[in-house]
Amino acid sequence: MDVLIVLEDNNGKIHRMGLESIAAGQRLSNEMGLTAGALVLGGNADGLADQASAYQLGEVLKVNDALLESYSADGYSEAVKQIIDQENPTYVLFGHTYQVRDYVPRLSAKMNKPFLVDNIAIRVENGQPIFTKQMFNAKLSADVEANSSGPFLVSFQSAAFSMDAAAAGSASIRESTVQLDTAMIRTKSEPPFQEEVGGVDLTSADIIVSIGRGIGKEENIPLAVELSKALGGELAASRPVVDSGWLPSAHQIGSSGQSVSPKLYLALGISGAIQHVVGMKGSKNIVTINKDPDAPIFEISDYGVVGDILEIIPKLTEAIQALKN
Amino acid sequence: MSEREVLDLDVLFVGAGPASLAGAIHLKRLLSKSGTEASVAVLEKASEIGAHSLSGAIVDPRALRELFPDFPDTDLPFEAEVSEEHLYYLTENKKIPFPFVPPSMSHHHCFVTSLGKLTRWLGNKCENEGVDIFCGFAGTKLLYEGEQVVGVRTGDRGIDKNGEKKPQFEPGADIRAKVVILGEGTRGSLTKNLIDRHELMQGCNPQVWAVGVKELWQMPSGTVPPGYVAHTMGFPLGQAIFGGAFLYGMQNDIWDLGLVVGLDYQNPGVDSHHELQRLKNHPWIRSLLSAGKMIAYGAKSLPEGGWYSIPKLSVGGAMLIGDSAGFMNGQRLKGIHLAMKSGMLAAETTAEALATGKFSESDLADYDSRIASSWIRDELWKVRNFHQGFDRGLFGGLANAGIGLFTGGRGWGIKNRLSSEAGHKKMQKGVKKNRYQDLQFDGTYLFDKVTDVYYSATAHEEDQVPHLKIRDQDVCVSKCTEEYGNPCEKFCPANVYEMLPDGDGQRLQINFSNCVHCKTCDIMDPYQIIDWVPPEGGDGPVWVNL
Amino acid sequence: MKIAVLVKQVPGADSQLPIQSNQNWVDEGAVAFIMNESDNYALEEALQIRESMGEGEVVAVSLGPDRIQKVIREALAKGADRAIHIQMDTEGVIDPLVTASIFAHALKEENFDLIFTGLQSDDLGMGQTGIILGEMLGMATASLAMATELGDGKIKVKRELEAGWFQWVSLTLPASVSIQSGLNTPRYPSLKGIMGAKRKELKVVTPNVVDATQSLEKVYLPKSEKQTVLIEGSADQIVEKLVETFRNEIKVL
Repeated sequence: MDVLIVLEDNNGKIHRMGLESIAAGQRLSNEMGLTAGALVLGGNADGLADQASAYQLGEVLKVNDALLESYSADGYSEAVKQIIDQENPTYVLFGHTYQVRDYVPRLSAKMNKPFLVDNIAIRVENGQPIFTKQMFNAKLSADVEANSSGPFLVSFQSAAFSMDAAAAGSASIRESTVQLDTAMIRTKSEPPFQEEVGGVDLTSADIIVSIGRGIGKEENIPLAVELSKALGGELAASRPVVDSGWLPSAHQIGSSGQSVSPKLYLALGISGAIQHVVGMKGSKNIVTINKDPDAPIFEISDYGVVGDILEIIPKLTEAIQALKN
Repeated sequence: MSEREVLDLDVLFVGAGPASLAGAIHLKRLLSKSGTEASVAVLEKASEIGAHSLSGAIVDPRALRELFPDFPDTDLPFEAEVSEEHLYYLTENKKIPFPFVPPSMSHHHCFVTSLGKLTRWLGNKCENEGVDIFCGFAGTKLLYEGEQVVGVRTGDRGIDKNGEKKPQFEPGADIRAKVVILGEGTRGSLTKNLIDRHELMQGCNPQVWAVGVKELWQMPSGTVPPGYVAHTMGFPLGQAIFGGAFLYGMQNDIWDLGLVVGLDYQNPGVDSHHELQRLKNHPWIRSLLSAGKMIAYGAKSLPEGGWYSIPKLSVGGAMLIGDSAGFMNGQRLKGIHLAMKSGMLAAETTAEALATGKFSESDLADYDSRIASSWIRDELWKVRNFHQGFDRGLFGGLANAGIGLFTGGRGWGIKNRLSSEAGHKKMQKGVKKNRYQDLQFDGTYLFDKVTDVYYSATAHEEDQVPHLKIRDQDVCVSKCTEEYGNPCEKFCPANVYEMLPDGDGQRLQINFSNCVHCKTCDIMDPYQIIDWVPPEGGDGPVWVNL
Repeated sequence: MKIAVLVKQVPGADSQLPIQSNQNWVDEGAVAFIMNESDNYALEEALQIRESMGEGEVVAVSLGPDRIQKVIREALAKGADRAIHIQMDTEGVIDPLVTASIFAHALKEENFDLIFTGLQSDDLGMGQTGIILGEMLGMATASLAMATELGDGKIKVKRELEAGWFQWVSLTLPASVSIQSGLNTPRYPSLKGIMGAKRKELKVVTPNVVDATQSLEKVYLPKSEKQTVLIEGSADQIVEKLVETFRNEIKVL
């Protein structure tokens, strides 16, 4: 196969970003006339292979190995390398997950082939793919080219592709084997655990509900909190809200706060001052509600509503809750 | 680490501007010539040299040539020699050239310069001479033994917005020095304290200031002649407000556009940032700039009072140099060469004091004498009544300046010394006509204040006590609103002060993080209740070539 | 215990980033540079380890042109014992295989027990150099450390995972670990530290450069060809359309 899509395990289900990579891989192979397949490995490889086979792919490779039951950078990078040596794909695609960041650089070094990371887009020009990534905390975009021959390791940013664009189909499953030995694995992982994050990490949120001065007063903030809960997102704010002391600075987005690019950025009562916009304009979908039709934020929004947030928020919360129940 | 660090030095300059850096270089050379060992350091609140340096500027190379006599002009850090100069009177739509440029206002043989670039260059030379430059440290308190200054304490770091110590808290350091030389720039905070404590302004005219705001514009390749100089009067300020605009051509196709506004206007609604945007509406300016992109913004205050507003310059253990002392030629709009020379003269006094081991007030008064017999005095004496003439408006001021050219600087041709009044006292009560009714910010050519502030790259540690101390905030929400309409919202070029609705009344919000350290608020507040003190070291603008 | 900390000088968060006319890179003359944020945390972590062990050496290492000496001296002022400056014009160099191999060549004789790097640089954001370097020098690796615990011949690292999950990983030494911001409180340099930095060893070396496997075509401002879709109507109609948009267009419901 020309395009090998490496899928990740998320507690027995294919990680969402793996499904997004399938969408990416399918598009790439369609545009360039290539064949695509997927690879699953680790303790849940069998279950993952079954799920992967429901997508339009040439085939699904699965690797079961005792030394891969638990993730390790050494084990995974070596295993994937061997599969790549066996299958000789030109492109190896990944979602840019924490796990991928941990082991794929090792893979790149072992193979001396480039790892083109965290792409937000890919386009084909003169038969060659050009990879676009963000630089300078998403202030600038950059087109990156591979200089060597393949295989090329490529990862995609969360929501750069939509998992719903992954076409369904039916793929055969093939068992593959790798040769690993305990000596090559120099790390030992304990089981993952969850912790109350001390700060608010907005950078990994897929949905952000952000409030600006238009929220009016501190007493209205619970409305936004309810909406963010209903949507399953995180609450954020522009500077004036934090300066007024209505929310802690950990929620601040902008040049003196956090920089985010979630799947959905819902801006409520935010005017769009440049200090704020630089922190969120990389968001995949920006939906704005503001009663001022001249607010600069409309210029960078995908969807805009000129309206009263205090009227719309509670109704929106109710409608979403009804949908989910 | 919560023990106060104590450092013993011989000489400490406060503020890494042209005055201190020239002074430190000169001092080190004098010391090495006399074979004296002495430790010399410079304290700078910005995270790096040049980050808080802003000026027009056109530099008279006199002091630099004295300091570096072997350097050809091409080795000095200028943008370009002044290649053409213009003086215009602007109306809203027209530009009328002055029939000639008086020689004393000429910038012939001077150099368009970026102060940031100049100070970085001087900083390098300074370090090569073995001077320690401590960036990211703010001098917040003078250390005394009796009435003798014996050092400077730097600001605490790691105090949260409630005044509580954070985990990384570090108390400020005590830097003990035999001589402390204050080159903090206009309205320096330690300078303010020194002047008050020792009554150094006694017998002097009160200092009068102006604020300069500027934008840098990146233009298409090959469209800006480096060394181009234009100064204007008239629009947008009119007759009653002191000031004027400047337009300088820098290298790399950058237009440097600025406006100086005297901080002695009567209308409390005057807003220097807004005046700069109005200036850009002039068709001539628009024709020059509209194809470009604004890339930087900043502001600074300037001492306009002249010779008679310069305080006594020395006390036991301390001296004042540069803008802190008020060395600026308002007529030529030049102060950098005077600042550097003053630093060098202070260095000479210091070298002698180190040789004798005596640093009392009478010993350091040698500096005042050196200034009085230097070309600084010669130059400033001729324009000693320049600013005062503008109390009679623009044409009065020009007439006074003109007459002064022939009478060696006498006020109105006859008076040796014209008095002045502190600028904030000139502000009149009552709401005046709104000068900005027709001003519309489009966000691409005319910018609102908040957007311009973004281009000053100013940032402050958010979790700290605001560094703008207001002695009585009740005045802000009641008396000041009635009497002056809260001019802080207008005179601050960085949107630091905002009156916001609060229930039935209002409250003052201090967006200290926007502060560009210009000191206008400390100068212009009509009740004189604002005290600007340095924020945490390293905070403030991050100017690259302003 | 020898610890290397790789520090990079990058444009500050609020710096202007004017793009060169050939779009190859930004005009560095107009940029305000600082030490990469996560590198600062990595340096602090190394200093704290040296302090808690009561022995050891922290070496600051940096790759770049003359201007990077500022961050090297900052690292020395904060407490690094000595520094290595691999002097090279790095404009246009984005391939972490190249930078890592330059570091590997310069550092392999040093035999560091630990190499700390920031998780990624705030300019390029490739996030790989430390891990690749670990592979090249035959070290165990882990990324995005939110805490470290040194043991006997081992280091335990708390890896950050998605969405508030973490995992402790034990690595045999020598190890290369990339450090996440926020795991400690970086110290300020003291005045004596700044003065003392001048007297510490700063070795300048030339790089051993290999061919790049990936390169930068161009940089540009992100395209904003957004056609804002206006949603209109009564509040109820708007809410209905929003829910539909969230569901079918944006696909978050």
